[in-house]
Amino acid sequence: MTYLNVSDVTLSFGGLNALTNVNMHIEKGLITSIIGPNGAGKTSILNCISGFYHPTKGDISYGGKNLTHASPHEISSMGIARAFQNLELFRGLSVLDNLLLARHSKLDYNFFQALVFWGKASRVESENRAYVEDVIDFMELEPYRKSLVGNLSYGVQKKVEVARALTLDPDLLLLDEPMAGMNVEEKEDIVRFIMDIQKERGVTVVLVEHDLGVVMDISDRIHVLDFGQLIGSGTPAEVAANQKVIEAYIGEE
Amino acid sequence: MASNRWLATGNFFTTYQEEQRTFTTRLDQLIFSIFLLTLFIWPLLFELSRTYMLVVDNILIAVVAVLGLNLVTGFAGLISIGHAAFVGVGAYTVASCSRMIGDSHIIITHLWPVMIIAGGLAGAVMGAIVGLPALRLKHLYLAIATLSFQMIFEWTINFMAFFNQGQTIFVGRVMWLTGEVGRSDHYVFWYYVILIVIVMCGFGVRNLFKTRYGRALVAVRDNDRAADAMGMHPGLTKVYAFALSGFLAGVAGALHAYLYRGAGIESFTLHHSISYLAMAIVGGLGTLNGSFWGPAAIQFLDLQVENVAELAGHYMPSNMNLATALRPLTFGLVIVLFLMFEPRGIANWWRIVKSYTKTWPFRY
Repeated sequence: MTYLNVSDVTLSFGGLNALTNVNMHIEKGLITSIIGPNGAGKTSILNCISGFYHPTKGDISYGGKNLTHASPHEISSMGIARAFQNLELFRGLSVLDNLLLARHSKLDYNFFQALVFWGKASRVESENRAYVEDVIDFMELEPYRKSLVGNLSYGVQKKVEVARALTLDPDLLLLDEPMAGMNVEEKEDIVRFIMDIQKERGVTVVLVEHDLGVVMDISDRIHVLDFGQLIGSGTPAEVAANQKVIEAYIGEE
Repeated sequence: MASNRWLATGNFFTTYQEEQRTFTTRLDQLIFSIFLLTLFIWPLLFELSRTYMLVVDNILIAVVAVLGLNLVTGFAGLISIGHAAFVGVGAYTVASCSRMIGDSHIIITHLWPVMIIAGGLAGAVMGAIVGLPALRLKHLYLAIATLSFQMIFEWTINFMAFFNQGQTIFVGRVMWLTGEVGRSDHYVFWYYVILIVIVMCGFGVRNLFKTRYGRALVAVRDNDRAADAMGMHPGLTKVYAFALSGFLAGVAGALHAYLYRGAGIESFTLHHSISYLAMAIVGGLGTLNGSFWGPAAIQFLDLQVENVAELAGHYMPSNMNLATALRPLTFGLVIVLFLMFEPRGIANWWRIVKSYTKTWPFRY
């Protein structure tokens, strides 16, 4: 079942085409990976889906809705969440506040109720807190709950980044290199979380990752980009046998 | 339920609602109540001279204004160099009403709480308008946009006959339950009014930061790309920050107009904008209690320097003109020293003192 449909997307900056006529179907409930050498346009396509870039040509639709020209906050309210490659956390806030912020558009008290903080605002905030605690529990972030994000180690910050995207309560989660710069142990942790996110929470995951071992192991579908063009897609076995993919990664004989 | 609510030790939270409380222990609550009570009853016990009472009132008005500035500059990270103009908008709302309907019209004298709120709303509207460039501009460029508002404001007031070309527009004496507030009670009466306003604004802001309306401000300061991905419109959040700050500035301005029984341009110049910024920096940007320390420290310093300058004036030859130079000199020096050695402001000293007394006699 096609869920997110990227059809014929071209993204160009001046004369440079970051993406050229890319077609991609992402199916509900699966883990889909996007791989490719450096500069292939992996992050560009995530940026197009999450609304930070708008395609020069082509359409992106999600569950019947067209989101080609939607802005990031509109897209996040449709149920698409995104974790960034370079940490984009609120460094001056605690882990707890970072996660509470992700619930921003889900809180339905008004300004004056917030000002008085009695009754509704207080009740909604404590329910909100309970929701966030559930995510903290899921992502095993309990020891860092009250620490400032800026003071945490890189690996933990990456985890907070994923946790924050998860707090948005998405149907579709876009993860941009969640394992970059991590050691084997931390990678194993993240892989476990990704699989749990898909299985326990029923979230569709789109993963951009360089570690091919991880990608081959956990992906249901793989799309391969090279120089902004889609050169292969399918199950891990199909992609591994694809001649173009082998050429892009290893080179021609 | 927690077994001990008086001390931090053994004070366990069993629900999230308990953790949201402003005062975590009864002891904190008690100390704060006593402090507040002291603020309310000291004018009944001592009588301060009118000059000093005016200084106290000035500090309190500055607290309201700096609280607003801290929201936009400290929490939302948008530098505003036009804050005095927002204060001016509040003051001139009252003043222009008084010019249109007469300075002792019943609306001015009896409905003054409404006028103060109206001043705040006018400030909020102007704040939202001036905040519009924040949809596109960032950092210093935005600061220049606020500076231009300051210039436009001063120019408008100075050249429009309606605003008396910047000369004072009078505002009448207000009525209270006991009748007209006369000359002798004037400063004490407004002391109480401003104090109540501060308590309300202080708790309001404190509550706001427990909710999404406060967190959104800090989010656009720290990372507006991520704020966008979290489902908030970063531009509109910034406009909202300016409106909120404008509201508090407007309230401060309306209080200023009533306290001085009039409004003139000389209280809302660029110099005052810079001084509000200095108060916010010295107090501690991005902290709630910094908004209280900053105005108190700067006004106190101003008073002391004035005394020193007067003393020095007796011994120095008058052509050196030390007395007039001393004020801006110390003012600038204090800001530079704070920026270099304590960028987190006096609020940080307060934090250190608090954590020290909490753990005493142990070191940590």
